[in-house]
Amino acid sequence: MKNKVKLSAAARREENWGWFMVAPTIIGLLVLNIWPFIQTIYTSFCEHLGFGHYRFLGLANYVKMFGNAEFWKATWNTIFFCILTVPVGVALALLVAILLNAKVKFKGGFRTLFFLPLVCAPAAVAMVWRWIFNGEYGVLNQILGANIQWITDPKTAVIAVAIVSVWSSVGYDAVLLLAGLQNIPKTLYEANSIDGAGKIRQFFTITLPMVSPTMFSVLIMRLMASMKVYDLIYMMADETNPALTDMQSLMYLFYRSSFVAGERGYGSAIVVWTVGLILLVTLIQFWGQKKWVTYDI
Amino acid sequence: MKKIPRMIAAALMLALLLSTAGCGSSDGKTHLTFQIWDVAQRDGMQAMCDAYTAQVDPNVVIEVQVTNWNEYWTKLEAAAESNTMPDIYWMHTDQILYYADFGILADLTDLYAGEEDNYYANHFSDISISNASGTDGRIYGIPKDKDNVLLVYNKEMFDTAGVAYPTSEWTWDDLTDASAKVYAATGKYGYMAYNDEQLGYWNFVYQKGGYILDPETNLHAGYTQPATRDAIRYYVDLQKNEWCPDQNYFAETSPGTAFFSGMGAMFLEGSWNLLNEMKNYPDMVGKWDIAMLPRCPDPASGDGRGSISNGLCYSTAAKGKNLETVKEVLKFFGSEEGQRIQGESGAAIPAYLGLEDTWSKSFGDFDYMLDLDQCYGQFDYAIQYINNASRRKWKSNVADEMVKVYNGSDLDSSLARMQELADYYVTE
Amino acid sequence: MKSTDSLRRSYAINKFIVYFFLILGALIMVFPFAWMILTSSKTVAESVQVDPIVILPAKWMLDNFRDAIKSLPFGRLYWNTTLMVFFRVICAVLFSSMAGYAFAKLKFRGKNLLFGIVLVQMSLPSQIFIIPQYQMVAHMGMANTIFALVFPGLVSAFGVFFLRQTYMSIPDEVGEAAYLDGCNQWQTFYKVMFPLTGTSVAALTIFTAVFAYGDLMWPLVVNSDLKMMTLSSGLSTLKGQFTTNFPVLMAGSLLAMLPMVVLYLIFQRQFVEGIAGTGGK
Repeated sequence: MKNKVKLSAAARREENWGWFMVAPTIIGLLVLNIWPFIQTIYTSFCEHLGFGHYRFLGLANYVKMFGNAEFWKATWNTIFFCILTVPVGVALALLVAILLNAKVKFKGGFRTLFFLPLVCAPAAVAMVWRWIFNGEYGVLNQILGANIQWITDPKTAVIAVAIVSVWSSVGYDAVLLLAGLQNIPKTLYEANSIDGAGKIRQFFTITLPMVSPTMFSVLIMRLMASMKVYDLIYMMADETNPALTDMQSLMYLFYRSSFVAGERGYGSAIVVWTVGLILLVTLIQFWGQKKWVTYDI
Repeated sequence: MKKIPRMIAAALMLALLLSTAGCGSSDGKTHLTFQIWDVAQRDGMQAMCDAYTAQVDPNVVIEVQVTNWNEYWTKLEAAAESNTMPDIYWMHTDQILYYADFGILADLTDLYAGEEDNYYANHFSDISISNASGTDGRIYGIPKDKDNVLLVYNKEMFDTAGVAYPTSEWTWDDLTDASAKVYAATGKYGYMAYNDEQLGYWNFVYQKGGYILDPETNLHAGYTQPATRDAIRYYVDLQKNEWCPDQNYFAETSPGTAFFSGMGAMFLEGSWNLLNEMKNYPDMVGKWDIAMLPRCPDPASGDGRGSISNGLCYSTAAKGKNLETVKEVLKFFGSEEGQRIQGESGAAIPAYLGLEDTWSKSFGDFDYMLDLDQCYGQFDYAIQYINNASRRKWKSNVADEMVKVYNGSDLDSSLARMQELADYYVTE
Repeated sequence: MKSTDSLRRSYAINKFIVYFFLILGALIMVFPFAWMILTSSKTVAESVQVDPIVILPAKWMLDNFRDAIKSLPFGRLYWNTTLMVFFRVICAVLFSSMAGYAFAKLKFRGKNLLFGIVLVQMSLPSQIFIIPQYQMVAHMGMANTIFALVFPGLVSAFGVFFLRQTYMSIPDEVGEAAYLDGCNQWQTFYKVMFPLTGTSVAALTIFTAVFAYGDLMWPLVVNSDLKMMTLSSGLSTLKGQFTTNFPVLMAGSLLAMLPMVVLYLIFQRQFVEGIAGTGGK
């Protein structure tokens, strides 16, 4: 009896510590992010009269949105973009992280080179990639000896944007995954190599399970970022690009509604839809992680 | 070793305190902020502000702040919503009706009331005044500058092809003839007609006698008018000529880039870009010049001429804290002296009538003088930049439809759709 | 004998493959950077020329660097960026470590709901925060300050999630042992668990710093005074409405990148030392 009371006191202390430790983050998120999102949900039911003044409309924005072919096209484009970029991007990032973790000379130098894209000026990135993909004068066509209109042909435009996306995210993700790899105790490998296990088996029995919690956070983050893609498209395609409707994403549509046309009510509805989609995908991921993410070693 | 990061942290904290303490001016002067979006005009604008401090009121100091065009409007709108707008800011025709009609901008109609009757009408063109007015016809900005659209041509290519340079008497037929000849003789593109409104089909529509918005009410669109339709058909089909690149090309390489890389002989350019192009392409100086836009040989109405003309203005917030001081400054910005400084700095052609050629001064630095009289003379045929209160809502949708036309969709059904999009917001 | 031979051969092949991919990857990654260096020495005409595209500038020159330094107060921009990055990193690491630890290791009511808030934040597009957050800063009268630059980065939902994953991969026994030694929850977290996450904290630091450094819209909206801008927002004002002087922009960007590259060089050493280094201290 006495024992049980003592235990619950400890549990209560633990609970207080828990609340205390998450408090700064949660308060910050509520004020900085969640409150604006609640406002966004509200405005999605309104007409924007101008300069932050709204009139309640009901479901009209959603009716308009769901009846709009352009919107469905953008939804598909966004999902397609995720399919193209997320698995390849995360797998490449893991490969890069493993290579950067190997015993090689000039390790610091290599790591710095892979880091460079993260801090390159966006204008430089845009210039270079548009030059590479340029249908008339581009390097890629010259190397391939082809005549492909990479960014103006509806069939290849999304792929071109996906390539740039993977390129620019690999460095980020590799840095995070590298940290995950470093957290693996070396003793595990030593014990394992005495067993005579091959490198490939080691990868599947030690590396992958041990890095899986970090990989899960990278995967979730990358998926969310890809669902919100906007600036890459803006960067790669002008408004008069013939393939624009085949590559514009939900967030691109949102930007045009809210910021260019000033129709923030309709733009908010697109945001609510996008966030809903992201949360759905995230929930599926959280459910699916039980099958491949190892927390207990 | 572990102490070093802590020492750095402490030093940064201290520095933060010091740097915030250093803020705030205590020189007893009024400090005003002036927000613009084009870094190329910063020095010209600052010169004008400094002249105000020197000549009019030594107690007012104005600081020019630059934000780039993409973020400017997000920023200005956010500032308007929390009543923290800069004291003075540039206003663009695309946006002025949104701001003015909502009561954000100070009404400047009577700014010069005590000094000169009909000041605006005496010193600014109708188009300039109209570009600075709200839907209610009141004036919400001091006209700053004006521009128009010109034909830029490569003299060397014309020489090689043995074609005479464009003149003010040129028609559309001369344009296509010359293009074909240049292409045949040099293998370079002729006139590069790309998908654009202000620097593209709008000009052709008005030359043909059509219109985008009904000139009477400025409400109803005219996309389905026969003259408008014919002009757009003509303009879009220019890309079917072998001497003109297609829209795939232009989506990646702008006509300006192509022109100054020596890939083509002609394109339409706004007067606002000419000085930059003289500066940026020193090797091309003397090899190119400008001409008035060719006229339509068979207009449905009118004389076949026209060139879209736009202009910016200086505005201030109706609820600004320093409104009275700012009004005095704006009065100076709209005066002959203020506009002259702007013109001579090369920033833009002053809106003030009679001062147009002050802008020529900064072109004098080059070995070759562009024929700027073509530009000044063309203001006689100026067509006001297309705009109405709902345009910001239909603008991108109409542009999307235009892309579809270039992608080969049926012109008449696209025009009908554009008409519908633009008329959607008309309420009688 | 034979088996060591083949072992050595397969080791050499492994090495070769590793270097091959590393060099190939590095070349692809370094491309835009090389392009920036080349462009920073070109004339404007060279920078936009097509057919043929100019790869090497006709003349190597530093004029564009001079122009960039002349048109922006680089000292102030470095300073403001440093302060912004520093405070955002401190906040992200401190608050995210606390919350990440609590979400991973402590039991408390409402945990799932509160963690849900973290995930919801991560799924929100940042564009919807700009106007509301600007209004908050404006109401506080804090526009045009360093605080305004730091403001949206006070907390980091991704940091919480990322560190939660890290803490979850640390065995529970580590914490329990400390607890039995008489540490309270805070001491267990601060003295035992937090030091074990060194590499992840370093990664989060880099991640947060790069993100803050590249943030453009927010610094531009909230601070209009050039003296209070960051490197990226200051550089963006060099973009003209119609034409951009790319060589000067690239020269300025190269100057802006330097501190980030140096910072990275320092922090990547953390990775070299790895868990052995952090666990021991």
